[in-house]
Amino acid sequence: MNTFLSLGAIALVSPFATGGDIPQIVWDAPAETAKAVEASATVETVPIKLEIFADAIYTAAGEMIDGGTIAIAGSTIAALTPGGKGSEGGLHVAAITPGFVELSPRINLADLSVEESGEIMPTMRANLGVDLYDKRWERLLNSGTTTVLISPAAEDIVGGLTSVLKTGGEPTVEAREILADATLAGSFGSHASRGNHAVYGRPTDHFVRRPTTRMGTEWSHRKAFYDTLAAMGSVERQFEGWDIMGSVLKGERAYIVQASATQDIRTAIYLKEEFGIPNMVVDAAAEVWREPGLVARSGMAVILPPFAAQGRTAIDNGFLAWNTAKLLGELGVPFALSSHGSASLNGRLSMQAGYAIRGGLPFEQALAAVTITPARLAGVDSRVGSIEVGKDADLVLWSGKPFAATSRVVGVILNGELVTK
Amino acid sequence: MKALSNRTRTTTSLPARTMTLLRNWTLVPGAIAASILLGNLPTASAATGDALVIEAGRIITQAGDDIIDGVIVIQDGRITAIGAAADVEKPWDAPVMGGPDFTAFPGFIEAHTNSGMDRANENLDVTPFLNVRDSIDPVNFFFEDCKRWGITTLNVQQGNNTVVAGNGRIVKPVGVTVEEMTIRPDFGYKISLAPKSGKSRATQRQTLNRAFDGLRSDLEDKVAAAKQGEAFAQREALGQGRERDADAGEGRAMTGEGWKVEGLEMVKRSDIDAKVLPILEMVEGRHRTFIYCGAPMDVQPAIDFATANGLLAKATLVLDDSCWKAADAIKASGLSVVLDSNMVHIEVDPITEEETETFVPGVFSEKGIPFALSSANPSTNSLWFQAALCVGYGMERSDALAAVTMTPASLLGLGDTLGSLEVGKAGNVLLLSGDPLDMTSWVEFTIVDGVKIYDRSKDVRNRHLLYGVEPRGATAIKSDAPETPSEVEVDGEVEDGDKVEVDGEVPEEEVTEDVVEEPTTKD
Repeated sequence: MNTFLSLGAIALVSPFATGGDIPQIVWDAPAETAKAVEASATVETVPIKLEIFADAIYTAAGEMIDGGTIAIAGSTIAALTPGGKGSEGGLHVAAITPGFVELSPRINLADLSVEESGEIMPTMRANLGVDLYDKRWERLLNSGTTTVLISPAAEDIVGGLTSVLKTGGEPTVEAREILADATLAGSFGSHASRGNHAVYGRPTDHFVRRPTTRMGTEWSHRKAFYDTLAAMGSVERQFEGWDIMGSVLKGERAYIVQASATQDIRTAIYLKEEFGIPNMVVDAAAEVWREPGLVARSGMAVILPPFAAQGRTAIDNGFLAWNTAKLLGELGVPFALSSHGSASLNGRLSMQAGYAIRGGLPFEQALAAVTITPARLAGVDSRVGSIEVGKDADLVLWSGKPFAATSRVVGVILNGELVTK
Repeated sequence: MKALSNRTRTTTSLPARTMTLLRNWTLVPGAIAASILLGNLPTASAATGDALVIEAGRIITQAGDDIIDGVIVIQDGRITAIGAAADVEKPWDAPVMGGPDFTAFPGFIEAHTNSGMDRANENLDVTPFLNVRDSIDPVNFFFEDCKRWGITTLNVQQGNNTVVAGNGRIVKPVGVTVEEMTIRPDFGYKISLAPKSGKSRATQRQTLNRAFDGLRSDLEDKVAAAKQGEAFAQREALGQGRERDADAGEGRAMTGEGWKVEGLEMVKRSDIDAKVLPILEMVEGRHRTFIYCGAPMDVQPAIDFATANGLLAKATLVLDDSCWKAADAIKASGLSVVLDSNMVHIEVDPITEEETETFVPGVFSEKGIPFALSSANPSTNSLWFQAALCVGYGMERSDALAAVTMTPASLLGLGDTLGSLEVGKAGNVLLLSGDPLDMTSWVEFTIVDGVKIYDRSKDVRNRHLLYGVEPRGATAIKSDAPETPSEVEVDGEVEDGDKVEVDGEVPEEEVTEDVVEEPTTKD
């Protein structure tokens, strides 16, 4: 017992473990112009290929810029200059936000494809099974989502390694991947044991396996981490993927687990606390509002599922109250919104931000919940998630105030290229 | 409550007006005394004849400019005065609602729906003898949602999975019986050009044509038989040397713009099969029809069908999202349309797999075809949301708002009584916390025919959806979590909403009492 407890204690100080006090990316307003100047000084090397003026630039890294120009060189943002009116004949839009980051796009492995040879599969890699020719990528991109985290399906208890991809560009993993093996995916609730059954008569299919209940799922989870602790202490106890499981215990990699119903969220929290898992994120956490105190105490981060008209969400029928995002914001719990890959007008990620605002979430927090927070949770915030000089030029161009029902995404820029009209 | 219903309108309006006069003259303290005096007992608790004054910081009338700091006076269910606060005389004894923080807007109108029915379609192909009255469930959750999201008028028609469907009905989401809900009984018929399940387009149209042409040849046979009988009766009378008893006059010659059967006056209407009689009445132009087109290829046949059978003057096309492609044909026909709730049509090129998106209402707006929008779901993506998306796609705000108010009112033939806030129109008013198209606006009060039917501060389900507060009876789950911030939220939020005239902190008991007013399906 003491072994893993002390392991938990040496866990690195992570943004999640500090109870939600997220380190903010410093936006140094006075230095802004200096930055711009600095950037324009480097223009000689990489020429500015696109300049966009917007009446409002929501950077997700500080105050809104009331009128300004973004200059793009190559695939990155070269300069961000407040003021001005935009050049004659240049691109001029009402508002710009960073490209959206979606942590739960659910377009993981073409059709739902589950590794059936076992339940604890840390070595599986989502990026090996991804279908980049799926039309949904393009739809997501056109709806403003420029970066996603793809995961193995939640039908395995420990599904495997996730990967962060851009939603457009050359249809190869090499070209689109910005972070391989980003996090580890796990699952609680009914999905993990769905379809499994015990042996009766002659085994006939892959589903003849345990667990078949939530209890079994939890037991398998705990056993996996006990085995990992043992493997970390003894070479003889090592098993395939122990190092990946170990990286989660050491806080080197976030553990994203699906848990929707209150009981499953509790189970996830207890697992986190038992093993001192530093970076844990609960995905599809619809009923997190029922346990606000517990969630805040645990230092977990949260990915909310898409809002549902009558409150009941698709996974385990979890009830998502519309002010849940607001509540998490007030508790200081880091949270991301998700659309589960919908690009439809009323389901897309930008609309989820709108619904969260309808539930009382302040605009800036809604913006963060679809940009910089998910980028941070996936460990790619140095490249995407906000509009800052040097970051990838992934931008969403708006016809009006972002996330309003009366506004529309009129264009998307990915890696500095305008991909929609 | 029945001020708008066909039958009661003429009978109640006159005494009611007299009643108001009486009140002003003699200061009779209450409407009840007056109504007893006149033998005009109100049928519903919402006393006909009561007046209501609505104040709003902004009134979006949908009939001209917005009114800032305006007042609406509703009497006997109708708007009797509307204008700036300074210009409108308020009845001294009328209750006052609203206030400067509210925006008043006419109730939304759902131009076509089959929600709120227990089942939308019968298995049979041709069923004009059915009536949605028998299928509308007044306590269906859907109607509660309508109040919550400000839809005050609905045209309920059978589903599209039919050939000729039963009689529809225009209702308001108020009341516990279908009669109480009714605005226009026996209103309209659904006809579908798209194949119902189990049919091809060919068999669908064959069935449809047979329903109309079959009736025609049946009627011709009946006329021929009547002529023969007539000739026989004449000969018989002549042979017997007596005057013949005239039994003509019970029949009626055919009217309308479509085909005609000459001599139909010789056939008693009661001799025509009641199961198909509504089809004859359709051809005579006596019913509105809602013709469903499931693909662009259905549109021209639908128009031709409507023309040949005399339906054109009172037809509305109910369109699948792909039907924008036939917009030119629709424009030429002069028909109005109800659009699909999915407003972006996505077409996939079969070879390149490239997707082309078309914003459907935009096409109809540009071509000047009158169109009404439909809700995508009865709640979050209700009519306000659909109109807001249209604005996002560059449609004029006034056009988008008209597509959920005035246009549906006109295409239902109710343009004189609904769709805008004007003197003489029904007192269907929404009091919103902000602009109707704003994400953060809520319907705070819904008023139908001058009666408040919804108050958000007392809407337990809305609180549950918004704050996660459990409705009564489900509190046990919280017993181990005595102080949850979500509950604290509620109090804070309601205090924010102090603009709501009702006291901010609503005790639990009070809340549940009020719920009794509203039909509930869930415990």
